[in-house]
Amino acid sequence: MLFIKCPYCGDRSQNEFAYGGDATVKRPEINKEVSDKDWDNFVYLRKSPRGKHLEFWHHVSGCRQWFKIQRDTSTHEIFKTFKVTEEI
Amino acid sequence: MSQDYRLDNIGLINRDKKVSFKFNGKRYYGYEGDTLASALIANGVHLIGRSFKYHRPRGFFGSGVDEPYAKVQLYKNGESEPNVSATEIEIFEGLESESVNCWPSVNFDVGAINNFLNKFLPAGFYYKTFMWPKSFWYKIYEPFIRKAAGFGVVSVKHDKDRYEHKYEYCDLIVAGSGPAGLASAYAAAKNGAKVILAEDKPRFGGSLLTDEVNIGNQSGKDWANKIINELKGMQNVTVKNRAQVFGYYDHNMLVMSERLTDHLAKPKKYTPRQRLWYIRAKEVVISSGSIERPIVFGNNDTPGVVLASAAKEYLKVYGVLVGKKPLIFTNNDSAYETAIEFKKNGINPLIFDSREKPSSEIINEAKNLNIEIKFSHVVVSAKGYKKVKSAEVSKISKDKNTLGKIENVDCDCICVSGFWTPTIHLSSQSGNRTKFDKNIDSFVPNQPKQKETTVGSAKGTFTLEETLKTSFETGYQLSKKITNNDKKILTPSVVEKKFTKHDKFWCVPLPKGKKYKRFIDFQNDVTVSDIELALREGYRSIEHVKRYTTLGMATDQGKTSNLNGLQLVSSIEDKIVPDVGHTTFRPPYTPVTIGTIVGREIGKHSKPTRKSPMHTWHKENNAVFVDAGVWLRPRYYKKGNETLFQASKREAANVRKNVGICDVTTLGKIDIKGPDSAEFLNRVYTNAWLKLPIGKARYGVMLREDGMLMDDGTTTRISENHYHMTTTTAQAANILSHLEYYLQVVWPELNVNVVSTTEQWAGAALAGPRSRDLLKKIFTDLDVSNDNFPFMGYLEGNLSGVHARIFRISFSGELAYEINVESNNGNFMWEKIIQLGKEFEIQPYGTEALSTLRIEMGHVAGPELDGRTISYDVSLEGMLSKKKDFIGKRSLNKPAFIAKDRQKIVGLVPIDKKTSIPEGSHLVKDVNAKLPNPKLGHISSSCWSVEFNNPFSLAILKDGKNMIGQKLFAVSPLKNKVIPVEVVSSHYVDPKGERVRS
Amino acid sequence: MTNSSALEKVHKKGLFGDYENKNEDKLIKISEEKDFLILQIAQYKNSLISVHNIKVDGLVFNNESLKVACNNDTRILWVGPKNWLLISRKKDLLKNIFESLKETDFAITDLSHSRAIIELEGENSKEILKKGCPFNFDELKKDSCLNSVFHGISITIDMINDNPNKIRLFALRSFGESLYDSITDSCLEYGYKNL
Repeated sequence: MLFIKCPYCGDRSQNEFAYGGDATVKRPEINKEVSDKDWDNFVYLRKSPRGKHLEFWHHVSGCRQWFKIQRDTSTHEIFKTFKVTEEI
Repeated sequence: MSQDYRLDNIGLINRDKKVSFKFNGKRYYGYEGDTLASALIANGVHLIGRSFKYHRPRGFFGSGVDEPYAKVQLYKNGESEPNVSATEIEIFEGLESESVNCWPSVNFDVGAINNFLNKFLPAGFYYKTFMWPKSFWYKIYEPFIRKAAGFGVVSVKHDKDRYEHKYEYCDLIVAGSGPAGLASAYAAAKNGAKVILAEDKPRFGGSLLTDEVNIGNQSGKDWANKIINELKGMQNVTVKNRAQVFGYYDHNMLVMSERLTDHLAKPKKYTPRQRLWYIRAKEVVISSGSIERPIVFGNNDTPGVVLASAAKEYLKVYGVLVGKKPLIFTNNDSAYETAIEFKKNGINPLIFDSREKPSSEIINEAKNLNIEIKFSHVVVSAKGYKKVKSAEVSKISKDKNTLGKIENVDCDCICVSGFWTPTIHLSSQSGNRTKFDKNIDSFVPNQPKQKETTVGSAKGTFTLEETLKTSFETGYQLSKKITNNDKKILTPSVVEKKFTKHDKFWCVPLPKGKKYKRFIDFQNDVTVSDIELALREGYRSIEHVKRYTTLGMATDQGKTSNLNGLQLVSSIEDKIVPDVGHTTFRPPYTPVTIGTIVGREIGKHSKPTRKSPMHTWHKENNAVFVDAGVWLRPRYYKKGNETLFQASKREAANVRKNVGICDVTTLGKIDIKGPDSAEFLNRVYTNAWLKLPIGKARYGVMLREDGMLMDDGTTTRISENHYHMTTTTAQAANILSHLEYYLQVVWPELNVNVVSTTEQWAGAALAGPRSRDLLKKIFTDLDVSNDNFPFMGYLEGNLSGVHARIFRISFSGELAYEINVESNNGNFMWEKIIQLGKEFEIQPYGTEALSTLRIEMGHVAGPELDGRTISYDVSLEGMLSKKKDFIGKRSLNKPAFIAKDRQKIVGLVPIDKKTSIPEGSHLVKDVNAKLPNPKLGHISSSCWSVEFNNPFSLAILKDGKNMIGQKLFAVSPLKNKVIPVEVVSSHYVDPKGERVRS
Repeated sequence: MTNSSALEKVHKKGLFGDYENKNEDKLIKISEEKDFLILQIAQYKNSLISVHNIKVDGLVFNNESLKVACNNDTRILWVGPKNWLLISRKKDLLKNIFESLKETDFAITDLSHSRAIIELEGENSKEILKKGCPFNFDELKKDSCLNSVFHGISITIDMINDNPNKIRLFALRSFGESLYDSITDSCLEYGYKNL
């Protein structure tokens, strides 16, 4: 059971959260043209690294905020958690 | 009556409390504090069961978790539990237990024939046998193997015990209360840390209970007592016995199983039998000690062959003799303690030491007590079938390869010691890589991956002095790091006997011409020759050897066999042990009951249930409920002896004819506010939202970014920047998360607040041609005429003193309204409407009728929005705005999505107008075509059309728009049905949609 | 009577669990709380006004996580960044709130009917919650709050008092009965009294 530091609520147990997918992917701007390739990359293509992974988590039973976690996919070590607006 | 093997003046059991118990139907007596094993041994019972494969007689080997043989069936209060370890279960008045894996009795077991067929049952035999003839498997081999496999018998009764869970936090958790654990816990607690000390056994102290040592000016045992009592009185300390930390998980979470009532004859009703603790610790101290391993020799599984440390524990803790003529066989000094204890209690042991000329304090002490010792001597094999009667012994050469002349020695037990294996399981589970310590020929923890520290013999520290020194220091340093306090405890002085080196000798060679079985894994009957066979057959990796031979895979998880197995593999492969490596340690450390893991998630607690404010009314009116996710919804309201089919037909027909009321509280409601609300709706829905007037509702459809349909609902503009969105019941939570994601991550510049109001409002749908008349009667002050309240309109009103929202929307396709009142008034609203509706022949209708109504109207719902359909497929392409961008739009021009013969929704009617078409059936053109028969589509929803009185289905069909009038076949291989069907429009009833607008 | 509370049909007075031979003071007291004004107050992301300048029923909104601003009638719980749950006995506060918190800066949503509320009182209250909630209750002090889960049900926990412990639990109304069953089941070991 992971122990996750929500940037707003502090350390909480994994049961309060839901995993939210790859956070390195940025949705192309709305109302702007985007090539088929770039769009398909956004919708489908994901790296699956063994090691550090930047991902979204949602504090569903807490503050309901989305935030980012840098986690090692093989050891589950969590290096850092930060708000959506913060950079690594 | 007699306890022939019980000593009078020694032991920690409570001699004031005699306990009677039964084993294999016979009554015995022991004392409170005995384990089943110690009590049986005291009574001279040495045959406990039969081995797994060969059905050889087996007795007791260890005195705790190290025990591989003594698993029994336990009976308590009318319940039966399999594979309980006799060396761990404490006896209570009335305990009953039986041997397993033997028939008709442990004494005379027919299964022993396996022992004599052993040539045909080597390791891995099940991979090579029972294969031919193929037909024999199902009728002959499988039933036979099923009966033969396993140990105890599982009860099929419902487990009536209570099991509970608990989450706890601490600064420091200490696993094991031997000297290392006591010292670190004490030092940390005195320095202000919040400490949890967990001890698996009922008594604290570990090795201090049996070792002759002094700490400070007290015996080790008394010191342990003093420390524990002081710890128990400290506010910042939790001390638990009968509690095993069995698993080390992520981020310093440790899971502990606490046994609260297993030792009690009559536990209290509400006290849990066992409790599972999830403990998050800032620091972990692993003081789990070490387990003695045996030396391997011929027939070393004979009852009476025990670990020397176990013999000592039976003596000192339980006051029980494992034998009266013991032969101690050792390669190290620690077994001498066992011999000395025997001697002190009037028994004459004989020591066989494999070493040539060892010299130490304790060897001198033994000599001074006139104990006979033979150096360079080994036990070649144990003799006796159901009990050790003697031993074949001989001198051994210095290189340990050659045996001398074999002689017979009289003895009734062989206490064997092959040195100690640190218990590194928890450390290994935490991710610690472990390294091989050549000095002790064992693995010890190496670099920690999490915040854990191993101390004491679990680390390979085998002297008490060093253990106490490092443990006190560890406790102090870890607590200082956490509390910033600086209170250091002085390490007490230690008096202990110094031991000399052990012999790197662990397996006695076979004498010429003899083929004695030398057991390595005792519970799974794995012998030296089995491992040699595995390696000959090419299984090189230790992981393969383990699985092929089942070495270390029994319930004792190889505690007394893994390392010896590794030594054998490495000597055959001519590698060093660390290069061979060890298999992965996985939790639990010892077996944990399934009940403990489940906790209270049973029966009505197995998942949460959601109930509408009108739930009680539904129940009282004969509603039969259905699970809609975690909600309970009325499926139909049963009148008399109605079936589901009859009731739902009646309810749906009544809606089409008069008026029906349906509880729609479960549908998701999301309150949306903010200056950018309209813009946000415009981006999440496919259709246009910027110009929705206040007081109007609009149907909306949401796509995923890959273009697939995600959900649909109706959103109403309540006031300028205030919207009320509805979603389907199933997707309510997902949609809220989806909206929050886009507002927080993708478009943070939008000023919009979304919050779920599903629970704030109770909802009732009124549907049917007479619904307006009823509405007029409910809201006497409102003008609900078609002009003032058109389709997709919104009004607020007063329902007999209660504020209400009214939406003119329709899922059924009839003239309909949805009334929302705040939840606490929900029941009042419902009863009022029922009362006022009597005049219009109102009937409540459930989800079954609801489905019927929308299906025959061709309205899509969950089954059509299954993640594989786009707007075109369900005839909603008209809702795709061409002018603005929205979520998923960019995916819609994929070639597959714009193909000319793209699938589309159609209606299906069976040609015979009688046979219902199972949902999920496939559509094919020619039912007799050769396989693979191309699938043209599938049936998504089926109902009995109350309008036309025949079955009707909706289907997603390839080239659907051009298929109206075609004849196809609906095929369900699961239900063995082939149904000829005709394709019709999906809008079977009221295709022009006139009723909703009436 | 138009009004039914969430737990009306399930909360029955009496003594339950292992209560025999125990001083009633030692038992956990369970009651249903109702008739509150409950509002979600959310400040829009781009709203620039400082929330410290606003007072509702004499209380200031704070931006510290887990903190509660309170007086005898009203409690304002921090439930997220710029997000509060206001719980008050004073129903007429609503008017005052609409005046102090402008529509341009705040979204105010009435959630008064959307919750089932259980109050636990007694020295073992925290031990009960530990049975199903993974939060570190050593950190829960008087007038602090949090959102978490109890046996799978999302709850809001408001610690009203600490001597003896008095804890108020909020769950979505429809989960009320399930939460009630779960909580009372956890209390059986200690014995409890339904008020």
